[in-house]
Amino acid sequence: MPNLLARNLGLNKENPLVMWIDLNSAFAMAEQQAHPSLRGKPMGVTNRWSKECCVIAASYEAKALGIKVGTRRGEAMAICPDFIILETDPPKYHNVYKKLFKILQDYSPKVQMKSIDEGIIDFHNATATLKGRSLQEIGQEIKQRVKQDIGGYTTVNIGIAPNRFLAKTAAGLNKPDGLNTIDHTNLIDVYKSLELEDLTGIAKAYGSRLRAYNIYTPMDFLNARESLLKKQIFKSINGYHWYRRLRGHEADDYETKLGMVGRQWVVKNPSNDDAWLRSCLHFLAETTGMKLRFRNVEARGVCVWMDFVMGGGFYDKKTYKTTFYTNQDIWLRVARLFENRPKHMKVRTMGLYLYNLSPSTRSQQSLFEDAKKADFLTKAMDEINDFYGSFTVYSADTMTGAKTVRQKIPFGGTEYFNLLLKRQ
Amino acid sequence: MEPTIIIDERVDVVALFKNKGGISTLAFPAKMRWNGREIIFDQLGMRHPTAKGKRMIHVFDVSDGVNDYRLEFDAEGLTWTLVAMIEGGKRA
Repeated sequence: MPNLLARNLGLNKENPLVMWIDLNSAFAMAEQQAHPSLRGKPMGVTNRWSKECCVIAASYEAKALGIKVGTRRGEAMAICPDFIILETDPPKYHNVYKKLFKILQDYSPKVQMKSIDEGIIDFHNATATLKGRSLQEIGQEIKQRVKQDIGGYTTVNIGIAPNRFLAKTAAGLNKPDGLNTIDHTNLIDVYKSLELEDLTGIAKAYGSRLRAYNIYTPMDFLNARESLLKKQIFKSINGYHWYRRLRGHEADDYETKLGMVGRQWVVKNPSNDDAWLRSCLHFLAETTGMKLRFRNVEARGVCVWMDFVMGGGFYDKKTYKTTFYTNQDIWLRVARLFENRPKHMKVRTMGLYLYNLSPSTRSQQSLFEDAKKADFLTKAMDEINDFYGSFTVYSADTMTGAKTVRQKIPFGGTEYFNLLLKRQ
Repeated sequence: MEPTIIIDERVDVVALFKNKGGISTLAFPAKMRWNGREIIFDQLGMRHPTAKGKRMIHVFDVSDGVNDYRLEFDAEGLTWTLVAMIEGGKRA
Protein backbone atom coordinates (compact mmCIF):
# COMPACT_ATOMS: atom_id res chain seq x y z
CA MET A 1 0.00 0.00 0.00
CA PRO A 2 2.72 2.58 0.89
CA ASN A 3 4.51 1.70 -2.37
CA LEU A 4 1.34 2.31 -4.39
CA LEU A 5 0.82 5.65 -2.68
CA ALA A 6 4.47 6.53 -3.20
CA ARG A 7 4.18 5.84 -6.90
CA ASN A 8 0.95 7.79 -7.28
CA LEU A 9 2.23 10.82 -5.41
CA GLY A 10 5.73 10.70 -6.90
CA LEU A 11 7.41 10.26 -3.51
CA ASN A 12 11.16 9.78 -3.46
CA LYS A 13 11.74 6.10 -2.73
CA GLU A 14 15.52 6.20 -2.33
CA ASN A 15 17.17 5.12 0.93
CA PRO A 16 17.21 7.98 3.43
CA LEU A 17 20.83 9.22 3.49
CA VAL A 18 20.53 12.70 4.98
CA MET A 19 20.88 13.10 8.74
CA TRP A 20 19.90 16.25 10.66
CA ILE A 21 21.40 16.67 14.13
CA ASP A 22 19.88 19.25 16.47
CA LEU A 23 21.29 20.02 19.92
CA ASN A 24 18.32 20.26 22.26
CA SER A 25 17.91 23.78 23.74
CA ALA A 26 21.60 24.25 23.03
CA PHE A 27 22.67 27.16 25.24
CA ALA A 28 20.37 26.25 28.13
CA MET A 29 21.46 22.64 28.01
CA ALA A 30 25.15 23.67 27.88
CA GLU A 31 24.58 25.57 31.14
CA GLN A 32 22.72 22.64 32.69
CA GLN A 33 25.57 20.39 31.57
CA ALA A 34 28.12 22.70 33.21
CA HIS A 35 26.06 23.30 36.38
CA PRO A 36 24.54 20.13 37.85
CA SER A 37 22.55 22.23 40.36
CA LEU A 38 20.53 23.71 37.46
CA ARG A 39 19.49 20.39 35.97
CA GLY A 40 15.81 19.61 35.94
CA LYS A 41 14.99 23.23 36.77
CA PRO A 42 13.28 25.96 34.74
CA MET A 43 16.17 28.17 33.60
CA GLY A 44 17.32 30.18 30.64
CA VAL A 45 20.10 32.36 29.33
CA THR A 46 20.17 35.97 28.25
CA ASN A 47 22.75 38.04 26.41
CA ARG A 48 23.06 40.67 29.11
CA TRP A 49 21.32 40.54 32.46
CA SER A 50 18.92 43.43 33.12
CA LYS A 51 15.39 43.92 34.47
CA GLU A 52 13.88 43.72 31.01
CA CYS A 53 16.27 41.25 29.40
CA CYS A 54 15.01 38.57 27.03
CA VAL A 55 15.41 34.82 27.25
CA ILE A 56 17.46 33.69 24.25
CA ALA A 57 17.35 30.00 25.19
CA ALA A 58 15.14 28.20 27.68
CA SER A 59 15.53 24.77 29.26
CA TYR A 60 12.89 22.13 28.55
CA GLU A 61 11.59 22.56 32.09
CA ALA A 62 11.05 26.28 31.37
CA LYS A 63 9.50 25.57 27.97
CA ALA A 64 7.01 23.23 29.63
CA LEU A 65 5.81 26.21 31.68
CA GLY A 66 5.43 28.40 28.61
CA ILE A 67 8.73 30.30 28.88
CA LYS A 68 10.34 30.39 25.47
CA VAL A 69 12.82 32.36 23.35
CA GLY A 70 11.92 36.03 23.44
CA THR A 71 10.09 35.91 26.79
CA ARG A 72 11.02 38.93 28.90
CA ARG A 73 12.51 38.29 32.32
CA GLY A 74 9.52 39.93 34.03
CA GLU A 75 7.04 37.70 32.20
CA ALA A 76 9.15 34.62 32.95
CA MET A 77 9.28 35.47 36.66
CA ALA A 78 5.49 35.98 36.69
CA ILE A 79 5.03 32.52 35.20
CA CYS A 80 7.62 30.92 37.47
CA PRO A 81 9.06 32.88 40.42
CA ASP A 82 11.84 30.26 40.67
CA PHE A 83 13.00 30.87 37.10
CA ILE A 84 16.81 31.09 36.92
CA ILE A 85 18.48 33.26 34.34
CA LEU A 86 22.20 33.25 33.48
CA GLU A 87 24.24 35.43 31.18
CA THR A 88 25.58 33.80 28.03
CA ASP A 89 29.05 32.31 28.09
CA PRO A 90 30.22 32.33 24.43
CA PRO A 91 33.47 30.32 24.92
CA LYS A 92 31.40 27.53 26.50
CA TYR A 93 29.00 27.36 23.53
CA HIS A 94 31.88 27.66 21.11
CA ASN A 95 33.41 24.59 22.70
CA VAL A 96 30.14 22.66 22.36
CA TYR A 97 29.81 23.76 18.71
CA LYS A 98 33.41 22.73 17.98
CA LYS A 99 32.92 19.30 19.54
CA LEU A 100 29.64 18.68 17.70
CA PHE A 101 31.22 19.75 14.40
CA LYS A 102 34.17 17.41 15.02
CA ILE A 103 31.85 14.46 15.71
CA LEU A 104 29.84 15.07 12.52
CA GLN A 105 32.99 15.42 10.41
CA ASP A 106 34.01 11.87 11.32
CA TYR A 107 31.13 10.48 9.26
CA SER A 108 31.20 12.24 5.91
CA PRO A 109 33.15 14.92 4.06
CA LYS A 110 29.81 16.55 3.33
CA VAL A 111 28.92 18.16 6.64
CA GLN A 112 27.17 21.49 6.87
CA MET A 113 26.44 23.39 10.08
CA LYS A 114 23.08 25.07 9.48
CA SER A 115 23.19 27.14 12.63
CA ILE A 116 25.08 27.21 15.87
CA ASP A 117 23.21 24.21 17.25
CA GLU A 118 22.33 22.08 14.25
CA GLY A 119 24.14 20.39 11.42
CA ILE A 120 23.61 18.02 8.51
CA ILE A 121 25.54 14.95 7.45
CA ASP A 122 24.93 13.97 3.84
CA PHE A 123 25.80 10.27 3.43
CA HIS A 124 25.43 10.29 -0.37
CA ASN A 125 28.86 9.16 -1.68
CA ALA A 126 29.94 8.42 1.89
CA THR A 127 28.26 5.05 2.37
CA ALA A 128 31.67 3.41 2.98
CA THR A 129 31.80 5.05 6.42
CA LEU A 130 28.58 3.23 7.32
CA LYS A 131 30.42 -0.14 7.26
CA GLY A 132 27.17 -1.98 6.78
CA ARG A 133 25.42 -0.20 9.62
CA SER A 134 22.08 1.53 9.25
CA LEU A 135 21.72 5.27 9.71
CA GLN A 136 19.64 4.52 12.82
CA GLU A 137 22.69 2.78 14.32
CA ILE A 138 24.94 5.69 13.30
CA GLY A 139 22.43 8.04 14.93
CA GLN A 140 22.60 6.09 18.20
CA GLU A 141 26.40 6.18 18.01
CA ILE A 142 26.36 9.97 17.53
CA LYS A 143 24.11 10.34 20.57
CA GLN A 144 26.61 8.32 22.60
CA ARG A 145 29.53 10.36 21.32
CA VAL A 146 27.75 13.60 22.19
CA LYS A 147 27.35 12.33 25.76
CA GLN A 148 30.97 11.21 25.88
CA ASP A 149 32.57 14.27 24.27
CA ILE A 150 30.25 17.09 25.37
CA GLY A 151 28.67 15.69 28.52
CA GLY A 152 26.32 13.08 29.89
CA TYR A 153 23.40 15.48 30.31
CA THR A 154 23.53 16.69 26.71
CA THR A 155 21.04 15.28 24.25
CA VAL A 156 20.45 15.70 20.53
CA ASN A 157 17.49 15.10 18.27
CA ILE A 158 18.34 13.28 15.08
CA GLY A 159 16.28 13.08 11.92
CA ILE A 160 16.99 10.82 8.97
CA ALA A 161 15.33 11.23 5.56
CA PRO A 162 15.99 11.32 1.82
CA ASN A 163 16.22 15.14 1.80
CA ARG A 164 17.13 18.01 4.12
CA PHE A 165 13.57 19.24 4.62
CA LEU A 166 12.26 15.88 5.81
CA ALA A 167 15.40 15.23 7.87
CA LYS A 168 14.79 18.50 9.75
CA THR A 169 11.12 17.58 10.14
CA ALA A 170 12.15 14.20 11.57
CA ALA A 171 14.60 15.90 13.95
CA GLY A 172 11.70 17.96 15.28
CA LEU A 173 9.71 14.90 16.36
CA ASN A 174 9.82 13.49 19.90
CA LYS A 175 11.91 16.24 21.48
CA PRO A 176 14.15 15.94 23.42
CA ASP A 177 16.50 13.07 22.59
CA GLY A 178 14.51 11.73 19.63
CA LEU A 179 15.74 9.67 16.70
CA ASN A 180 13.31 9.39 13.82
CA THR A 181 13.32 8.43 10.17
CA ILE A 182 10.94 9.71 7.55
CA ASP A 183 10.83 7.99 4.17
CA HIS A 184 8.19 7.10 1.59
CA THR A 185 6.74 4.41 3.87
CA ASN A 186 5.74 6.72 6.75
CA LEU A 187 5.73 10.19 5.18
CA ILE A 188 1.92 10.28 4.89
CA ASP A 189 1.47 9.31 8.57
CA VAL A 190 3.90 12.03 9.65
CA TYR A 191 2.15 14.69 7.56
CA LYS A 192 -1.20 13.63 9.02
CA SER A 193 0.17 14.28 12.52
CA LEU A 194 1.40 17.82 11.74
CA GLU A 195 -0.14 21.25 11.31
CA LEU A 196 0.71 23.40 8.30
CA GLU A 197 2.89 25.78 10.33
CA ASP A 198 4.81 22.82 11.80
CA LEU A 199 6.53 22.51 8.42
CA THR A 200 9.92 24.22 8.25
CA GLY A 201 9.65 27.30 6.06
CA ILE A 202 5.90 27.73 6.50
CA ALA A 203 5.34 30.58 8.93
CA LYS A 204 2.16 32.58 9.52
CA ALA A 205 2.21 34.53 6.24
CA TYR A 206 2.79 31.49 4.01
CA GLY A 207 0.22 29.57 6.07
CA SER A 208 -2.41 32.24 5.38
CA ARG A 209 -1.55 32.26 1.70
CA LEU A 210 -1.91 28.48 1.48
CA ARG A 211 -5.24 28.57 3.33
CA ALA A 212 -6.51 31.12 0.82
CA TYR A 213 -6.18 28.30 -1.75
CA ASN A 214 -7.97 25.76 0.47
CA ILE A 215 -4.75 24.16 1.67
CA TYR A 216 -5.31 23.65 5.38
CA THR A 217 -3.06 20.71 6.24
CA PRO A 218 0.28 19.24 5.17
CA MET A 219 -1.70 16.53 3.36
CA ASP A 220 -3.61 19.18 1.37
CA PHE A 221 -0.23 20.74 0.60
CA LEU A 222 1.14 17.39 -0.60
CA ASN A 223 -1.89 16.79 -2.78
CA ALA A 224 -1.75 20.26 -4.37
CA ARG A 225 -0.94 20.33 -8.08
CA GLU A 226 2.51 21.52 -9.11
CA SER A 227 1.03 24.16 -11.40
CA LEU A 228 -1.12 25.57 -8.57
CA LEU A 229 1.91 25.89 -6.28
CA LYS A 230 4.14 27.35 -8.98
CA LYS A 231 1.81 29.66 -10.87
CA GLN A 232 -0.71 30.80 -8.29
CA ILE A 233 0.40 30.32 -4.71
CA PHE A 234 4.16 30.98 -4.77
CA LYS A 235 4.21 32.56 -8.24
CA SER A 236 7.83 31.49 -8.68
CA ILE A 237 10.19 28.53 -8.89
CA ASN A 238 9.60 28.20 -5.13
CA GLY A 239 6.32 26.44 -5.89
CA TYR A 240 8.20 23.77 -7.83
CA HIS A 241 10.74 23.45 -5.01
CA TRP A 242 7.92 22.92 -2.49
CA TYR A 243 6.33 20.30 -4.75
CA ARG A 244 9.61 18.36 -4.77
CA ARG A 245 10.61 19.05 -1.15
CA LEU A 246 7.33 17.67 0.23
CA ARG A 247 7.89 14.44 -1.71
CA GLY A 248 11.37 13.87 -0.31
CA HIS A 249 13.35 15.10 -3.32
CA GLU A 250 16.31 17.37 -2.55
CA ALA A 251 15.61 21.07 -3.09
CA ASP A 252 17.84 22.63 -0.45
CA ASP A 253 21.38 21.43 -1.16
CA TYR A 254 22.93 24.77 -1.94
CA GLU A 255 25.24 27.29 -0.32
CA THR A 256 23.53 30.55 0.57
CA LYS A 257 25.16 33.49 -1.18
CA LEU A 258 26.58 35.95 1.31
CA GLY A 259 24.67 39.21 0.85
CA MET A 260 26.03 41.38 3.65
CA VAL A 261 28.10 41.36 6.81
CA GLY A 262 27.54 43.69 9.71
CA ARG A 263 26.98 44.21 13.39
CA GLN A 264 24.43 45.89 15.56
CA TRP A 265 24.43 46.87 19.21
CA VAL A 266 21.79 47.80 21.73
CA VAL A 267 23.36 50.90 23.34
CA LYS A 268 23.97 50.16 27.01
CA ASN A 269 22.93 53.61 28.26
CA PRO A 270 21.12 55.44 25.44
CA SER A 271 23.08 58.59 24.66
CA ASN A 272 23.83 61.28 22.09
CA ASP A 273 27.43 61.73 23.26
CA ASP A 274 29.31 62.07 19.98
CA ALA A 275 32.73 60.81 21.12
CA TRP A 276 31.30 57.83 22.97
CA LEU A 277 28.99 56.75 20.14
CA ARG A 278 31.81 57.27 17.65
CA SER A 279 34.16 54.97 19.59
CA CYS A 280 31.50 52.26 19.91
CA LEU A 281 30.61 52.49 16.21
CA HIS A 282 34.30 52.36 15.31
CA PHE A 283 34.60 49.18 17.35
CA LEU A 284 31.60 47.71 15.50
CA ALA A 285 33.26 48.71 12.21
CA GLU A 286 36.50 46.94 13.16
CA THR A 287 34.73 43.72 14.15
CA THR A 288 32.73 43.90 10.91
CA GLY A 289 36.01 44.29 9.00
CA MET A 290 37.31 41.20 10.77
CA LYS A 291 34.23 39.24 9.65
CA LEU A 292 34.57 40.57 6.10
CA ARG A 293 38.17 39.43 5.78
CA PHE A 294 37.42 36.10 7.44
CA ARG A 295 34.85 35.46 4.69
CA ASN A 296 37.51 36.46 2.16
CA VAL A 297 35.28 39.05 0.51
CA GLU A 298 35.41 42.77 -0.16
CA ALA A 299 32.54 45.27 -0.10
CA ARG A 300 31.44 48.14 -2.30
CA GLY A 301 28.63 49.45 -0.11
CA VAL A 302 28.23 50.59 3.48
CA CYS A 303 25.15 51.39 5.54
CA VAL A 304 24.87 52.96 9.00
CA TRP A 305 21.59 52.92 10.91
CA MET A 306 20.26 53.93 14.31
CA ASP A 307 17.04 53.76 16.33
CA PHE A 308 16.34 56.67 18.67
CA VAL A 309 14.92 56.64 22.19
CA MET A 310 12.26 59.18 21.22
CA GLY A 311 11.16 57.02 18.28
CA GLY A 312 12.15 57.11 14.66
CA GLY A 313 15.60 56.42 13.35
CA PHE A 314 18.38 57.22 10.95
CA TYR A 315 19.45 55.21 7.93
CA ASP A 316 22.09 56.17 5.37
CA LYS A 317 24.01 54.14 2.86
CA LYS A 318 26.45 54.67 0.07
CA THR A 319 27.72 52.50 -2.77
CA TYR A 320 31.24 53.00 -4.11
CA LYS A 321 32.77 52.18 -7.48
CA THR A 322 35.70 50.27 -6.01
CA THR A 323 35.83 47.61 -3.31
CA PHE A 324 37.30 48.06 0.17
CA TYR A 325 38.21 45.77 3.07
CA THR A 326 40.77 47.41 5.38
CA ASN A 327 39.71 48.72 8.79
CA GLN A 328 40.78 52.22 7.77
CA ASP A 329 38.71 52.19 4.58
CA ILE A 330 35.64 50.80 6.32
CA TRP A 331 35.82 53.33 9.16
CA LEU A 332 36.42 56.25 6.77
CA ARG A 333 33.17 55.44 4.97
CA VAL A 334 31.20 54.62 8.13
CA ALA A 335 32.35 57.86 9.83
CA ARG A 336 31.13 59.95 6.88
CA LEU A 337 27.63 58.48 7.17
CA PHE A 338 27.70 58.79 10.97
CA GLU A 339 28.22 62.56 10.57
CA ASN A 340 24.87 62.85 8.75
CA ARG A 341 22.77 61.71 11.71
CA PRO A 342 20.60 64.10 13.73
CA LYS A 343 23.09 64.76 16.52
CA HIS A 344 20.64 65.76 19.26
CA MET A 345 18.83 62.42 19.25
CA LYS A 346 19.66 59.82 21.90
CA VAL A 347 20.58 56.53 20.26
CA ARG A 348 19.01 53.30 21.50
CA THR A 349 20.31 50.82 18.92
CA MET A 350 22.89 51.26 16.21
CA GLY A 351 24.58 49.17 13.61
CA LEU A 352 26.26 49.00 10.28
CA TYR A 353 26.50 46.57 7.43
CA LEU A 354 28.62 46.18 4.33
CA TYR A 355 26.98 45.06 1.10
CA ASN A 356 27.70 44.43 -2.60
CA LEU A 357 30.20 41.78 -1.60
CA SER A 358 32.58 40.13 -4.06
CA PRO A 359 35.46 37.64 -3.70
CA SER A 360 38.61 39.21 -2.33
CA THR A 361 41.36 40.34 -4.70
CA ARG A 362 43.81 40.97 -1.87
CA SER A 363 46.51 38.84 -3.51
CA GLN A 364 46.71 41.39 -6.35
CA GLN A 365 49.24 44.10 -5.54
CA SER A 366 48.03 47.65 -5.77
CA LEU A 367 50.00 50.17 -7.81
CA PHE A 368 49.54 52.81 -5.17
CA GLU A 369 51.92 53.07 -2.23
CA ASP A 370 49.25 54.23 0.25
CA ALA A 371 46.98 51.31 -0.57
CA LYS A 372 49.89 48.90 -0.11
CA LYS A 373 50.64 50.37 3.34
CA ALA A 374 47.00 50.07 4.45
CA ASP A 375 46.93 46.50 3.18
CA PHE A 376 50.14 45.57 5.06
CA LEU A 377 48.88 47.22 8.23
CA THR A 378 45.54 45.37 8.11
CA LYS A 379 47.30 42.07 7.42
CA ALA A 380 49.77 42.64 10.27
CA MET A 381 46.95 43.53 12.69
CA ASP A 382 44.94 40.45 11.70
CA GLU A 383 47.98 38.20 12.15
CA ILE A 384 48.79 39.64 15.59
CA ASN A 385 45.18 39.28 16.69
CA ASP A 386 45.02 35.74 15.32
CA PHE A 387 48.10 34.75 17.31
CA TYR A 388 47.71 36.69 20.53
CA GLY A 389 43.91 36.83 20.72
CA SER A 390 41.17 39.11 19.43
CA PHE A 391 41.71 42.83 20.02
CA THR A 392 45.29 42.55 21.22
CA VAL A 393 45.91 45.49 18.90
CA TYR A 394 43.19 47.87 17.76
CA SER A 395 42.75 51.52 16.88
CA ALA A 396 43.13 53.88 19.84
CA ASP A 397 39.82 55.44 18.84
CA THR A 398 37.97 52.18 19.65
CA MET A 399 39.29 51.82 23.23
CA THR A 400 36.05 52.98 24.82
CA GLY A 401 33.99 50.91 22.38
CA ALA A 402 36.02 47.75 23.03
CA LYS A 403 35.30 48.08 26.76
CA THR A 404 31.61 48.85 26.27
CA VAL A 405 30.36 46.67 23.41
CA ARG A 406 30.07 43.02 24.22
CA GLN A 407 30.37 40.20 21.72
CA LYS A 408 26.83 38.88 21.50
CA ILE A 409 25.64 35.43 20.71
CA PRO A 410 24.08 35.70 17.29
CA PHE A 411 20.91 33.85 16.39
CA GLY A 412 20.96 31.50 13.45
CA GLY A 413 24.32 31.97 11.81
CA THR A 414 27.46 29.97 12.33
CA GLU A 415 29.74 32.78 11.20
CA TYR A 416 30.80 33.93 14.67
CA PHE A 417 31.63 30.42 15.83
CA ASN A 418 33.49 29.63 12.62
CA LEU A 419 35.55 32.74 13.19
CA LEU A 420 36.42 31.46 16.65
CA LEU A 421 37.19 28.00 15.24
CA LYS A 422 39.76 29.59 12.97
CA ARG A 423 41.30 31.38 15.92
CA GLN A 424 41.92 28.28 18.07
CA MET B 1 18.73 37.84 40.27
CA GLU B 2 21.29 35.83 38.44
CA PRO B 3 22.31 33.05 40.85
CA THR B 4 26.04 33.34 40.08
CA ILE B 5 28.18 34.59 42.98
CA ILE B 6 31.45 36.12 41.80
CA ILE B 7 34.42 35.13 43.97
CA ASP B 8 37.64 35.55 41.92
CA GLU B 9 40.13 34.20 44.48
CA ARG B 10 43.24 32.09 44.06
CA VAL B 11 42.75 28.66 45.67
CA ASP B 12 44.74 25.52 46.49
CA VAL B 13 43.66 22.65 44.23
CA VAL B 14 44.46 18.96 43.96
CA ALA B 15 44.02 17.88 40.34
CA LEU B 16 43.95 14.42 38.78
CA PHE B 17 45.58 13.50 35.48
CA LYS B 18 44.50 10.24 33.88
CA ASN B 19 46.37 8.33 31.23
CA LYS B 20 43.27 7.21 29.37
CA GLY B 21 39.88 8.59 28.51
CA GLY B 22 38.29 11.33 26.47
CA ILE B 23 39.81 14.81 26.31
CA SER B 24 36.99 16.08 28.50
CA THR B 25 37.96 13.89 31.43
CA LEU B 26 41.75 13.48 31.12
CA ALA B 27 42.50 16.18 33.69
CA PHE B 28 40.23 17.71 36.30
CA PRO B 29 40.31 19.22 39.79
CA ALA B 30 39.52 16.69 42.51
CA LYS B 31 39.34 19.02 45.53
CA MET B 32 40.18 22.54 46.66
CA ARG B 33 40.78 24.47 49.83
CA TRP B 34 38.77 27.67 50.10
CA ASN B 35 37.80 29.77 53.11
CA GLY B 36 39.49 27.22 55.36
CA ARG B 37 37.29 24.42 54.06
CA GLU B 38 38.20 21.42 51.95
CA ILE B 39 35.69 20.94 49.14
CA ILE B 40 35.70 17.62 47.33
CA PHE B 41 34.33 17.59 43.79
CA ASP B 42 32.23 14.64 42.76
CA GLN B 43 31.19 15.79 39.32
CA LEU B 44 32.82 17.51 36.37
CA GLY B 45 30.07 19.38 34.52
CA MET B 46 32.15 20.64 31.64
CA ARG B 47 35.63 21.74 30.75
CA HIS B 48 36.34 24.23 28.04
CA PRO B 49 39.42 26.13 26.97
CA THR B 50 39.35 29.86 26.41
CA ALA B 51 42.25 31.93 25.10
CA LYS B 52 43.05 35.16 26.87
CA GLY B 53 45.62 36.57 24.50
CA LYS B 54 48.58 34.18 24.44
CA ARG B 55 47.49 32.52 27.70
CA MET B 56 45.31 29.44 27.58
CA ILE B 57 42.80 29.26 30.39
CA HIS B 58 41.03 25.97 31.06
CA VAL B 59 37.64 26.50 32.63
CA PHE B 60 36.33 23.66 34.81
CA ASP B 61 32.71 23.69 35.92
CA VAL B 62 32.57 21.27 38.85
CA SER B 63 30.17 20.33 41.61
CA ASP B 64 30.51 19.02 45.15
CA GLY B 65 27.02 17.56 44.97
CA VAL B 66 25.40 20.69 46.41
CA ASN B 67 27.03 23.76 44.89
CA ASP B 68 28.57 24.40 41.48
CA TYR B 69 32.00 26.03 41.15
CA ARG B 70 33.76 27.61 38.21
CA LEU B 71 37.51 27.07 38.48
CA GLU B 72 39.98 28.48 35.98
CA PHE B 73 43.44 27.02 35.44
CA ASP B 74 45.93 29.37 33.82
CA ALA B 75 48.16 27.05 31.80
CA GLU B 76 50.92 29.67 31.58
CA GLY B 77 50.95 31.00 35.14
CA LEU B 78 49.98 27.57 36.59
CA THR B 79 47.44 29.16 38.90
CA TRP B 80 43.97 28.05 39.94
CA THR B 81 41.29 30.67 40.50
CA LEU B 82 37.84 30.12 41.96
CA VAL B 83 35.97 32.51 39.71
CA ALA B 84 32.36 31.98 40.74
CA MET B 85 29.89 29.62 42.33
CA ILE B 86 26.20 28.82 42.21
CA GLU B 87 24.65 27.71 45.46
CA GLY B 88 22.52 24.62 44.98
CA GLY B 89 18.87 25.43 45.33
CA LYS B 90 19.44 29.19 45.20
CA ARG B 91 16.96 30.74 42.85
CA ALA B 92 16.56 34.03 41.05
